[in-house]
This record gives sequence, C-alpha cells and structure tokens, in this order.
Amino acid sequence: MGDGTVFTPDIGFVRGLKNSGADTMKQCYQCATCSTVCELTPKDNPFPRKEMVMAQWGLKDELAADPDIWLCHNCNDCSKYCPRGARPGDVLSVLRKAVIAENAFPRFMGTIVGNTKLLLVALLIPVVLFLCVLNASGHLNIPAGDVVFKNFFPVQLIDSIFVSTAMAVVFVFAISVGRFWRKLNVNPYKLMAHSMLLPSLFETLKEIFLHKKFQKCGANIDRTWTHRLVLFGFIGLFITTNWAVFNLYVLKWDSPYLINDPNILLIFGSQAAVMLYYAAFKIFGNVSALVLFIGALMLFTNRMKDKGVNSVSSSYDWIFASIVFLVCITGLAAEMLRVLANNAQLAYPVYFVHLVLVFYIIAYLPYSKLAHMVYRTTAIVYAKMANRDVM
Amino acid sequence: MPDEKGSSIVVIGGGISGITTAIEAAEAGHSSVIVERNPYLGGRVAQLNRYFPKLCPPYCGLEINFKRIKQNPKVSVYTLAEVESVAGSEGNFNVKIKKNPRFVNEKCTACGECVKVCPVERSNSFNFGIDKTKAVYLPHELSYPMRFAIDQSPGVCPGKSCAKCVPACKYNAIDLDMKAETVELKASSVVYATGWNPYDATKMDNLGFGKVKNVITNMMMERLAAPNGPTKGKILRPSDNKQVKTVAFVQCAGSRDENHLAHCSSVCCMASLKQATYFREGDPETKAFMYYIDLRAPGKYEDFLKKMQADANVMMIKGKVAKIEEDAGTLDPIVTVEDIVGGKKITQRVDMVVLATGMEPSLKVANAGTNVKLDENGFVDADAQAAGIYASGVAKRPNDVTTSLQDATNVALKGIQSAVRR
Repeated sequence: MGDGTVFTPDIGFVRGLKNSGADTMKQCYQCATCSTVCELTPKDNPFPRKEMVMAQWGLKDELAADPDIWLCHNCNDCSKYCPRGARPGDVLSVLRKAVIAENAFPRFMGTIVGNTKLLLVALLIPVVLFLCVLNASGHLNIPAGDVVFKNFFPVQLIDSIFVSTAMAVVFVFAISVGRFWRKLNVNPYKLMAHSMLLPSLFETLKEIFLHKKFQKCGANIDRTWTHRLVLFGFIGLFITTNWAVFNLYVLKWDSPYLINDPNILLIFGSQAAVMLYYAAFKIFGNVSALVLFIGALMLFTNRMKDKGVNSVSSSYDWIFASIVFLVCITGLAAEMLRVLANNAQLAYPVYFVHLVLVFYIIAYLPYSKLAHMVYRTTAIVYAKMANRDVM
Repeated sequence: MPDEKGSSIVVIGGGISGITTAIEAAEAGHSSVIVERNPYLGGRVAQLNRYFPKLCPPYCGLEINFKRIKQNPKVSVYTLAEVESVAGSEGNFNVKIKKNPRFVNEKCTACGECVKVCPVERSNSFNFGIDKTKAVYLPHELSYPMRFAIDQSPGVCPGKSCAKCVPACKYNAIDLDMKAETVELKASSVVYATGWNPYDATKMDNLGFGKVKNVITNMMMERLAAPNGPTKGKILRPSDNKQVKTVAFVQCAGSRDENHLAHCSSVCCMASLKQATYFREGDPETKAFMYYIDLRAPGKYEDFLKKMQADANVMMIKGKVAKIEEDAGTLDPIVTVEDIVGGKKITQRVDMVVLATGMEPSLKVANAGTNVKLDENGFVDADAQAAGIYASGVAKRPNDVTTSLQDATNVALKGIQSAVRR
C-alpha cells in the first residue's frame, strides 16, 4: 500500500444525500442496466452507474466535477429497469441539488433554500421585508376605492426591490457558475475542453428550446410537454415583465393603462393602434400565465400518475413545484379579484402573497430547483466543449 | 409396518428431486407415490443436454432411476395428475388428485403407427415450441412411462370426430373415451418436489425475446444442443437455420431483479459456461461472449470457470445486457451493455443470443388447494410448514442437480420419520 489513490469517503455527505431522498442508492449492485438503457449518456465512461458508486462512497469532489449528472434529464428509464429499486434517476436528481448547494454563494443561502425544513424561514424573509418597506413608506393598509395594486404596493417600491434582487441574483450566479466551471474543468475532460465556447453555447440553447434531450426519454416522455410549458410560461412572463417596464419607463404609460391617455395617443397616432398594443400586451401576459399554470398542473399530475413506481419526488422537488403552482394561482386570482370582483379585502392580500412567491422564485433562483437552468446549461456547454455530449 | 393402512409418502412432482425422494424412501421400505403433471417423469433434467461440470448426459442417470422405479413395487407413479387438495395432518393426510386422460392405455408399445395417420400438429412443449409433434406423441425418447399420449389441450385433438389413430393402432391402445378421474391418496407425509419453470422471457421487454428472432432462452439452448432435440444437436439459429458462429450469453435475464425474480437462480452462470462448451467443442472458430453482473461458480465449480476463462474465444464482460435489438437485414441480434471494466457502453453483433433465464418456482403460480407456505419469492419456506409437509429440490430453493439430489435424499428420511412417528 502507500501508493495509488486513496479515497476518503465523506460519510456526512452520504448521510445528507440519503436524507435528501437518495435513500435507495445503497441498493445499487453495479449491474450497469441503468447506463445501458439511458438514451442520453455518452458511450465513453457512461452514466449513471458510475455516479451510483461514487454516491455510495461519498466522493463529493468527484461528483461536483462531474458534468454527467447534468446531462441526465430524469427520464427515469434507469429507475424503471433498475433490478434493485435503487432509482438512479432520483439519486442523480438529489446529486444535482447537492451541487447547487455546494456552489451556492453565500453558502448559508444554499442551506436555507436547500433544507426543506427551513421553508418557513425562506418565505418569512420576503414577508418581513415587504412589511417593513410598506410600513416605512406609509402603505401598510388596505387602500379605499377601486382595486389598483399600485395604491397598495407602489410600483416604484416593487421595482426597486425586485430590480436590485435580480441584479444580486446575476452577481451571485456569476460567482457560483465560476466555482462550478472551475470544478468541471479538471481532467479527464480539461484537455479536450479548450475552445468552441460560443458554438457549444449556441448548440446547447437550441437543444434546450427544442427539448431534444427530453424527446429521447422513454419512461418519462410525458415530461417533454410539461417542461416545455413551464419553460415557455416563465419566458413569456419574463418578457411580459420587461414589457411592463418598457411601458412604464420608456412610454411613461402607467398601469392601470388608460386607453385615452393623451401622451400614448400621441405616440401611437390613433386610438385603434393603442387598443391593438394594449390587447397584444394583455393577451401575451395572460397566455403566458396560463401556459405556466397548465405546465405547473402537469408537474403535479405527472408525479401523481407515476405513484412512485419509477420515481419518488423529494420534498425539495415538491416544494418547488408547489411554489410555481401557487404563483400561478395567486397571480391569476389577484387579477380576477381586481377585474371581476373588485374586492379590495381579498385582492390586496392575495396580491401580497403573489409578490412573496415571486420573490421566492427570483431571489432564490441560484439555490432552488430552478437553478438547474443555469447549472445544466453550463454543464451541457462544458460537455459539448469536451466532446462529452452526444446528441 | 407403516404401510399397512395404505398410507405412504406422497411426492408431488416427478422431476429428479421427486423421483429421488420417492425411490430413496421406497428402497428403505416405505411406500411412496409420485404425482406428476406431465405425461412423463424426469422434469427439467430430461430436457437437459449435459450436466455441468462433468458434461455427461443426464439421460443415463434418469435411466438408472427409471429402472429403480420399475423394480420397486413400493413406488407408484401417477402421470398427467394434478393435485387438487391436500388436507389433514402428519400421519393422516388426504391428497386428492385429478388424473387427466392420456387417451392411450398401457397396451401401447410406442410403435408410432398412430403418429403416421394423425392429421393434427401441436407445438412441442418438451422442446419449448422450437418444433412440432402430432397431437398423438411420445413426449421424448426416454419417456417414462414409455407410452404415447394425446394432447388434450383445447383446439388440438378433435377427438372422436377424427379418430384416425384408433384403427391404426393394432394393440387397441387408443381410448378416446377416457375421462378425468379423481383419486384420493392417504399419506403420512407430503413432499413438494414441484421444481421450477423457466421465467417467461417475454416479460423482459428490453431483451427482445419473442421479437428478435435469434434470441432464445438457456433451456431452449439445451434442446438445440441435445442429440434428441429439434435440430439433432446441431446448433442452428431460429431465423434461418444458419450455424451459429458467435453467441452472446446474457446472464441474470430476469434473475436478481425485483421487477422479475428477486432471487439469484444459482445455476445460470454454470449453465452458460457449460453451454459455451457446446459451441467451443463443435467448432474452434466459434466465439462466445458472456455478459454478467457477478460470476457465481462456488466451490469446485471454480475450476470449470477457470478453464473457460482460459479459452481465448470465450470473452467474459462485466455488465448486464439491458437492450437487444435486431439488425433488419441480417436478423443478427445486437446487444448493448456497459463494459464496466473497460469503461465503455458497447454494442456487440452476434449470430444468436442465449438469455440465462432464471428459475421461477412452480408453486408461485400453482399452489391453489395446497397447504404449503411460500416465502416472498415463491419457494417453499421449509421452516414454516406444518408437521409432515416437506419440500425437496428447487421447490425449496434454486439449486443445481447435485445439491437437489442431496436435498431429496434428506427429505426421504424426513418423510420416513413422519410415517414412523404416528
């Protein structure tokens, strides 16, 4: 002995994985059925068989440097055919969560969002923040008159909170992705990954938008549509938000949008043009919300339909699916209560909850399940640069 | 004498374990009865080409056993008989059996004249459907009893509306009026020697059996290699009767798999190693690939494994095959597997694939009317039985023939004890 590689299993890491839902991983007896049935794995040094043994041994650093866990799209063909019920699909899902927490900046945020027991803390942060802001600006009350959300929570306050949060998210992600990239960029793939960044990025984005990987899934092919709807719902709402910012700060057209606003009439030239623009904006926003809503609904039905046969969703997964679902419900409900019921007593509290949930999604983006959009994209780009991704 | 009341050891199943238990008890002076569902004795062993590791044919052992049965008046045999119920307690069991009609009586000399006139064919279950026999058939060359039978399953023999065989038989051996009858046996003990069935390979939808033509099971392989088999011992693949030059053995096809059989069937590694010799002995150019999770060759069997490992044309690859596809042009099967040691997901095109399908205990699907307690895999739980209920051979756990024989002999002693104790 003395020479050769010596592993030091990280027992704490193994326990953490098991507590997060990878409790089946010790069942694995390394038969490699999973790697064989997987349609997404590269032929050379395939996954997820090797990840299963790495997880069993607690090889935290090796797993953090492994792009393969991100090439996995949770098709669950592996779990369906696994002869031991070890559920490699679920184990890789938990490993991704561990990598998100591992690269989180600041670390404690990764813990707060990653630890499902601290969900209340994560939700209380925006509640307290919003109450303080409302109190300080003298808005901590239910305004009289018609429901106009800016009378309750002025847009300028919302924008200052959310724009600064969004900027912080970008900054935090830059640090996390930097850490992540440095971990990925080690041997055996380091030597292969030297250039081709932009073409790889382009290829990756194309693949993501076309859902090419999802379409290779067998057991979980239904998720292709779910993911499409959730992704495009979010993108639609992101565009809607920026569109509203454009309306407010460029056109100086304030919500609630008045069709006969003289300034707007001047910009568009005719009443009909204003109406068209207004309708386009409203329809786009509402359709996006509906698309996300249907997607979120399918997140639930898919999981229910599986009944834990191929996959058991972790609480981390459930929480995120629930938040997305509730964002849709509260957003649509606030709109209905304003437009149809004009019920201030209900509309404003629902709107408040909606803002809290939106804050959860945006502010905790680098630490939640949704962080996969950045980590996965990064890992696939890296894998393509290292000739690792076979599509 | 324990036999005076007509009470005996009833052995359910006339495979090698059941035969052994019955004969050993009878040769110690205690009467025994073999109840066999098939029209012949010998069970799975009768279907084997060779035993491992000695590579001798099982027929010679069976022949000796049949001779022992014939010579011993204390052994009685019911073929085509199914157990309907087992009731009572140690020393005083009542076993009700249904004797299905054979339509051929004891006058049969196995001359085969009836076959010549029979117009109906049936899939040959003894050869796992690889070939066909007529509706009146001799189950296999060394059938015991050496007597033809008429397949009574629906849609095969049209019965008296045809009856061409009746005048063809000059011994008046064919009796189409034969009816099923119920027989009640008194038993001091009941031994389940019900053995196993090959696991239904069509249930593994990723291994292509039934879809990819040149994928067969290990038991079909035994029949293909057997001199009395459908190809007279030439190993020809099903799609085009081409001689097989490359073969892949897919281990743990259904065994050690919670979705199929959770247990290890224990003999498949040795069976595949043995079957590799069928190819290697026939043609030095033949290549055999064996894909495994673990190679289980315990005790003295390790020598056999080492011998096969030393053969440069027998490639052993660690990794479970989980996908088998068919080349549309050549009908060659293509197996996909992760070569764990080599670190690559590979495909291999071969002439034929042999699935090492495991042993499904017969009682798992057919224990109605019996009082036997099974474990979670469908094997008889030897420790959980009422007094006087025993199991012998693979009914109890998956084993090779040698171990089953030792077990069967032990159980004969148990049966005798039950008889003497009362």
